[in-house]
Amino acid sequence: MSKMYHHLPVEAYTTQDWFDREQRLIFSRSWRYAGLAEDLPEPGHYLSVQAGVNNIFIVMGRDHRLRAFHNICRHRGTQLIRAVGKTQKALTCPYHDWTYDLEGNLISVPDEETEYPGGLDKSCLGLKPASVDIWRGMLFVHPEPDAPSLVEWFGAVEPLLGPHDPAKLVEYPEARQSYEIKANWKIVVENYIDVYHLSHLHSNTLHMYDHARAEYGWKGPHYHFWEPPAPGYAKDLEQNLPSPRVIPKPHVGAWVPMLFPGTGIGASEDSWNIFILTPLGPELTRVENRTKLADASAWEFSKQEWLSSGFWKSFGGPKYSGEDVAGKEDPMASGDFTAEDVYACEQQQKSLASPYLEIGPAATGESPITRHQRAVLDFMDLQARQMGAGDV
Amino acid sequence: MFEFHSLRVAELNAEIGGGATSVTFELPADLIDRFAWHAGQHVTLRFVLEAQEQRRSYTVSNPPGAPLRITVKRESGGLVSNHIADALSVGDRIEVAPPIGRFALEPRRHARRTHYFFGAGSGITPLFAMVQAVLTDEPESVAHLIFGNRSADTILFRKELDQLVTQHPDRFTLRHALSAASLWSWFSPWRQGHVDAQAVKAAITQTPPVAQDVQYWICGPGAMNRDLSSGLNDLDVPADRIHMESFGAAQPADDGVQGCAASAVIRLQDGQHEISVQEGQNLLAAIRANGLTVPFSCQSGVCGACRAQLADGAVHMRSHMALAEGDIAAGHILTCQSLAQTKRLTLDFRS
Repeated sequence: MSKMYHHLPVEAYTTQDWFDREQRLIFSRSWRYAGLAEDLPEPGHYLSVQAGVNNIFIVMGRDHRLRAFHNICRHRGTQLIRAVGKTQKALTCPYHDWTYDLEGNLISVPDEETEYPGGLDKSCLGLKPASVDIWRGMLFVHPEPDAPSLVEWFGAVEPLLGPHDPAKLVEYPEARQSYEIKANWKIVVENYIDVYHLSHLHSNTLHMYDHARAEYGWKGPHYHFWEPPAPGYAKDLEQNLPSPRVIPKPHVGAWVPMLFPGTGIGASEDSWNIFILTPLGPELTRVENRTKLADASAWEFSKQEWLSSGFWKSFGGPKYSGEDVAGKEDPMASGDFTAEDVYACEQQQKSLASPYLEIGPAATGESPITRHQRAVLDFMDLQARQMGAGDV
Repeated sequence: MFEFHSLRVAELNAEIGGGATSVTFELPADLIDRFAWHAGQHVTLRFVLEAQEQRRSYTVSNPPGAPLRITVKRESGGLVSNHIADALSVGDRIEVAPPIGRFALEPRRHARRTHYFFGAGSGITPLFAMVQAVLTDEPESVAHLIFGNRSADTILFRKELDQLVTQHPDRFTLRHALSAASLWSWFSPWRQGHVDAQAVKAAITQTPPVAQDVQYWICGPGAMNRDLSSGLNDLDVPADRIHMESFGAAQPADDGVQGCAASAVIRLQDGQHEISVQEGQNLLAAIRANGLTVPFSCQSGVCGACRAQLADGAVHMRSHMALAEGDIAAGHILTCQSLAQTKRLTLDFRS
């Protein structure tokens, strides 16, 4: 019998078999974050994204509408486009130069008469369409051409995500980063939504917010979370904000939802951040962070920084100091909450291999973890049933 | 196909200084279902004026759920439109046939769409109903209206549209184009000139779609519609996203093509008849003037009741909204919109 980690067997976090099933049943069957809307600023711009087992590209047509197609040449399956770029009117496969227009129609096949003397019905060889939409300033793709709309997918949780309008904010490029965590994607999600750990692992890094007064819950598979500023931060809040406000007064607090599967947002009075998980293997996950700030002048940023410097110079610090520190690189001495989280995730993942592992009871503040495990199971069950296959 | 009901005029309102009239009908409870409409559809009115039956189709200028109302622009020399503007009183009864039409927007609560509306003049009437239907019943969707008029004082529903902008600042944008703006007007339009392909391109670039299910709704004179749909084609807009209705459909569109005098063979169930067609006369009028009975309803090319098979000869159709491309290829014509282009014609009504 499998060893259980609450609702899931430990193998769900360690084996290729579970990873493959999740890729097929979760990440290939749901809306996938593909970038920020401004990544495709003009007609002709395109980008591609891996969504489970599918590689999908998005291109903006001359009507400024986005089209999404599976990034597979209809000839031999070669990927048509790489990464990001710009085209005028057409997309050409590098292998045999088959060329498609931006509607996905196959418009040219080199040496068509001699290579296909029996004729070739190009009208049956268009690119396979996928779905694309923009929501809260983010691009999303879905492998199916007639996917349920984003209203149906995110509608119930949207009112709980905060008053931010990401489309009106500007990216802070220095904050853009991508890194890998040696842990299963669900370990990373569970860390993100664990309310209990906030006051402990991050006792000295995130205490400007009042974790004891956090409000959190679920709308379908999506987790929502809000907490107010802690009293010391809330007193003179307008002065203490490190950068200009991105939401109108009197809204305050931190909204930290985790949208299924693995799309985290962290938004506060003065910033909007995304935390995108991509499972790379059973025990490896990539995180992509991007940050948007107020569309304000350099002067306004400097002014807010000066105003708030008094609060921040005496705020925070490492969790451990003195004799507890294990060497120069100890994340517990970093004073950086991300380093603290990465450390916790990777240590936990290592322990999953131990024969002596036995998971203790879940605390109240860990109820999101067990709920997320349920969401994973339920989503996979539902998809398997919809696919009419018993191959879960 | 059509049944007419006698409806009481509940309200009459002069619009744009008397240049148009809004007529609101009272709907008795037992007709509410029968007269349910989709935003963009039209009703057919039947009058007897100058001892002749006259039928005209007018768009319902309110969204579903609101009172049944039409808005009729006064046409110079227009028999029916002037009658509506000058001779109607509250309490009068008018023969009205229930709403029909394929130019219709059906809002869906869970749809998340971007709708671009391009209209000119009285072409606003269906678009006005559609914009309101989207704002009320498609809460996640956005509407952009680009509205062309001659001058500021001929803009229908100007106050109502401004009100919608105030009520839905995040979901509705309104841009006016004026082709003959007065120098003395305080009103400053988004653009001078007609709503043309350049205006379409500028509008889309200015407010590109956020929701990616994009629909384009065009309603104006035939020439504008042709220009806009070819403009959208140039931008690679797929044809199935473009919805269009020619306006001025209430009056036969005078596109300058003249009909010649002809003699026509009319094949009916009861046999074959030879009639003469006067120069400039539409075929339905000629058939009726010769005492023959054929089905017809709207007399404006939208209902399709008067369709026939053209077995021999050639005609020019002023409008053929009720026919699909395949029908036209198969030789179907709308007799109320057809002018003879050859001296001999054969029409078959038997199918």
